[in-house]
Amino acid sequence: MQTATRRFRAVDALLIILMLLPLLCGIVIKILFVPPGEGMDISGAAVFFTIPLPIQSMPITESQVNSWLVMLFVTGFCLYMTHGIRAGVKTRRQHLAEWIVEKTDGLVKDNMGEYFAGFSPLIGAVLALSACSSLLTLLGLFPPTSDLNIVGGWALLVFCLITYYKMKCGPVHYLKSFAEPVALLTPMNVISEIATPVSMAFRHFGNVLSGVVISTILGAALTGLTTTLLGWLPGFLGDIPFLKVGIPAVLSLYFDLFSGCLQAFIFAMLTMLYVASAFPMEDYFQRRELKKKTQKQSTK
Amino acid sequence: MQNLEIISINFWQIFVSLLNLVLLFLILKKLLYKPVRKAIQEREDALNQQYQAASDAEARAKAHEAEWNETLQNANAKADEIIKAAQTNASRRSEEIVNDAKGQAKGILTQARNEIELERKKSEDGIKHEIVDISALMAEKLLGREINQEDHRAWIDSFMQEIGESDDRNQ
Repeated sequence: MQTATRRFRAVDALLIILMLLPLLCGIVIKILFVPPGEGMDISGAAVFFTIPLPIQSMPITESQVNSWLVMLFVTGFCLYMTHGIRAGVKTRRQHLAEWIVEKTDGLVKDNMGEYFAGFSPLIGAVLALSACSSLLTLLGLFPPTSDLNIVGGWALLVFCLITYYKMKCGPVHYLKSFAEPVALLTPMNVISEIATPVSMAFRHFGNVLSGVVISTILGAALTGLTTTLLGWLPGFLGDIPFLKVGIPAVLSLYFDLFSGCLQAFIFAMLTMLYVASAFPMEDYFQRRELKKKTQKQSTK
Repeated sequence: MQNLEIISINFWQIFVSLLNLVLLFLILKKLLYKPVRKAIQEREDALNQQYQAASDAEARAKAHEAEWNETLQNANAKADEIIKAAQTNASRRSEEIVNDAKGQAKGILTQARNEIELERKKSEDGIKHEIVDISALMAEKLLGREINQEDHRAWIDSFMQEIGESDDRNQ
């Protein structure tokens, strides 16, 4: 028993290390390879190296690396949460894991219905990836969500899901759905169809980026304000940006913490609503009934 | 090291990001949702099992209750029967004993009576003898002569008989 608990604790510690190591790696990579921005420098993700590929060469950027680190972190988190999960055990860890699962299940069931119950891991993944990516700013890392390509990829996945569920009734039904309610609106429908993922991607990207932009501008402004107000202080005291202490933290509370979590939630909600509304459930079940009937008749 | 433009679109990056999300979906499904759901299912099963066991036990208890009630009633009836049988037995025995005792007492009484009668007869006979002897002696003395012992005895006997009858009548 003693050895078992010791082994359990050792595995626990290992999993916690596995969970925190990616974040540490991110900070180390940032310190080692990314030159610090100066002043009002607002730019995209730093490119580590570029892989030549057909169509377009693929740069491995900070955002890519950071999103992989977030994935590793989430994987470690899952492993830690479910380590030693059993029916009879009542630990805080297990309660939290069950809470997460039940909450996402409930969210999916409320917004999408019973048919889409299998979507809860995807919604959980969207929430985890988006929120953790945005919250990386708290560690001083580049948030992958402020890269359009990253959120664009997620939006493209949502678009694929929407199209897949619209196609469930066959391609003819899918094409017909564009001419509703009148054929005149077809171009509008096509545009709105394409606008859905684009708007999702830009919404998320823009919200996170705006936070970064405002934080940067505010940092520069506060530095300038300090030098004009307190520049008369002798020696190195004049160089310390005193006003930068505390005030950005308050704004960070909104732009990094609140906005990051809110945007993750909004993205997840929109995913659920778009996918659920894309699926013509009544038509689908009618068609299935019809198919069954015809099959029965043919077998007779 | 150069940076990307703020708004830059790269097909491969988008593709990789899409795959990342799918991968994370699979990871979450496999590592978080599956074990947690399994644990919840196990707990529910255990709970259901306990409920089942409890209801089974209740049903069994109810069945046993009926059984016990029946046996209790049977036992009561049996006890009543036994008591009744014992009572009748006892009364019969006591009657027998009393009758026996009565019979014995009667026997003893009759025997005693017979003995008394016998004794009385014996003593009567003795007295008669004595009276006869004495009267003969007196008569001899009075008459001064010998009397025929045999005649005298017969005469006195008849006389005594008369006295005895008159005695019986007086009683």
